[in-house]
Amino acid sequence: MNATAAALPSREDIPSALDVAGLALMRDLRLAFRKRDEIAQPLAFFAVVTTLFPLAITPELPRLREIAPGVLWVAALLAALLALEHLFRDDARDGTLEQYALCGRSLTWLLYAKTAAHWILTGLPLALVAPFAGMALGAPVHALGGIVITLAIGTFALSLIGAISAALTLGTRRGGMLLSLLTLPLAVPILIFGAQATDLAMRARGFAAPLELLAAFAVLGVTLAPLAAAAAVRISLE
Amino acid sequence: MSWTWFHRFGSPPHVYRLARRLTPWFAWPAALLILAGLYGGLVLAPPDYQQGDGFRMIYVHVPTAYLSIMIYTIMGVAAAVGLIWRMKVAHAVAASCAPIGASFTVAALATGSLFGKPMWGTYWAWDPRLTSELLLLFLYLGYLGLRSAFDDLQRADRASALLAVVGLVDVPIVHFSVVWWNSLHQGSSLLRLGGPTIYSPAMLAPLLMMICGFTLYFVAILLMRLRGEVLRRERAASWVKEALAT
Amino acid sequence: MTGLMHFLAMGGYARYLWPCYGITFAVVFLNIYWARRLNARARSEAKRRLAMREKLVLEEEEA
Repeated sequence: MNATAAALPSREDIPSALDVAGLALMRDLRLAFRKRDEIAQPLAFFAVVTTLFPLAITPELPRLREIAPGVLWVAALLAALLALEHLFRDDARDGTLEQYALCGRSLTWLLYAKTAAHWILTGLPLALVAPFAGMALGAPVHALGGIVITLAIGTFALSLIGAISAALTLGTRRGGMLLSLLTLPLAVPILIFGAQATDLAMRARGFAAPLELLAAFAVLGVTLAPLAAAAAVRISLE
Repeated sequence: MSWTWFHRFGSPPHVYRLARRLTPWFAWPAALLILAGLYGGLVLAPPDYQQGDGFRMIYVHVPTAYLSIMIYTIMGVAAAVGLIWRMKVAHAVAASCAPIGASFTVAALATGSLFGKPMWGTYWAWDPRLTSELLLLFLYLGYLGLRSAFDDLQRADRASALLAVVGLVDVPIVHFSVVWWNSLHQGSSLLRLGGPTIYSPAMLAPLLMMICGFTLYFVAILLMRLRGEVLRRERAASWVKEALAT
Repeated sequence: MTGLMHFLAMGGYARYLWPCYGITFAVVFLNIYWARRLNARARSEAKRRLAMREKLVLEEEEA
């Protein structure tokens, strides 16, 4: 009986961190397309919340136009918070997250891939749907591009920050409400600069300044947030 | 350089006994300073030219606001130490800070609101300082909420420590964005929220005493809570039996 | 007595100033109370756990 064990793969044979991250990204996207209603739900929530404001305040478009940036951003923030709950939920439940932590490749890159996938599935569609909500709130046509850009960057930054609180609340019982409470104070700068950028875009003024600040937060988030999220995941897996 | 002094702080029995011995050394001077500050501020200091006797509210508002921020900073630093060096005592310090800081943030908001009504005409204003203070309260509540969501104390320690560190990094960013946000809308603001008037040394000396007194008071309370928190984190240790006898 | 009344009136700001001080010192004393309660609870918890462990040890020795 020939009992030569196969040689263990050397470190060079295992795909690099970037490759593994790419694989994780594609995996998340593929899995999500099988459950398309999970993608649609945050969008539907966004549409409903946006509709609530005219109902609660006034149908007059001039007045709605004043508050439109704030309404769009608050609705997007709430929808993003809801969507954050299932960023890690499924993977934590079936043990994939543990595998990610143990696989010997950078957990930070893997989480960055998961967050990016999450944004592609929730934040980006939100940003693309927002112009329609904006029009319903009286936004002029020239502002629609600005709405898309500002919300796209803002939701990306939100996904990054939200990944940290999602990871922290992984092991807890009443995760959802706590997740929202933890994320909101951290998200305030994003809200402030994002809403201001959208507001300036709607007034046909140059919105480069707040947009750049928003982008700066996104970059800061990209560099630091996955690190913190990886630490948080390790803590909840202990 | 010997780091033993640092590592001795990692020893729970040492900290437990030290905290007990040190508490009076902070508590009594704190009481004295606060009483002296109260007398100086309420009785000795002359009324202000613009704000009359109302300015005397700063003798409690400023210490509470200062304390709320200082405590959060200490909490964040202790949390970082606990995460990096895995020191239970550091986590105990962070856990002790949170309720103190949160309650003083509430006091700062309440006293700020009461100070604002006669001075600016409104109980609440969305100015940078009050808004930042409100967000700080949310950060404290989030920390406390996360702690209570875990059954296991060690995991609660580590998770909330990470949150405290992230929050600490975020506080300057939040404050900066709130200041920016407020400056945008100054034109349409109906309130002229000016800064405090110039105060004389006779008015400022009691304020300094109150700030110092409250700081010492905080350390005393921290030391008291620290003993309880350290005890909760020590289960099987033999020193516990001996310590409980004292 | 007018000296005391004058002091309490605080130049007309009394209804803001005294609640201000009241809230602050309420928090001051609350924190003292909470700290004592925490310690009392921690001590009784620790005593209870010690007693249980010693009981277990005794039972093991008897078995």
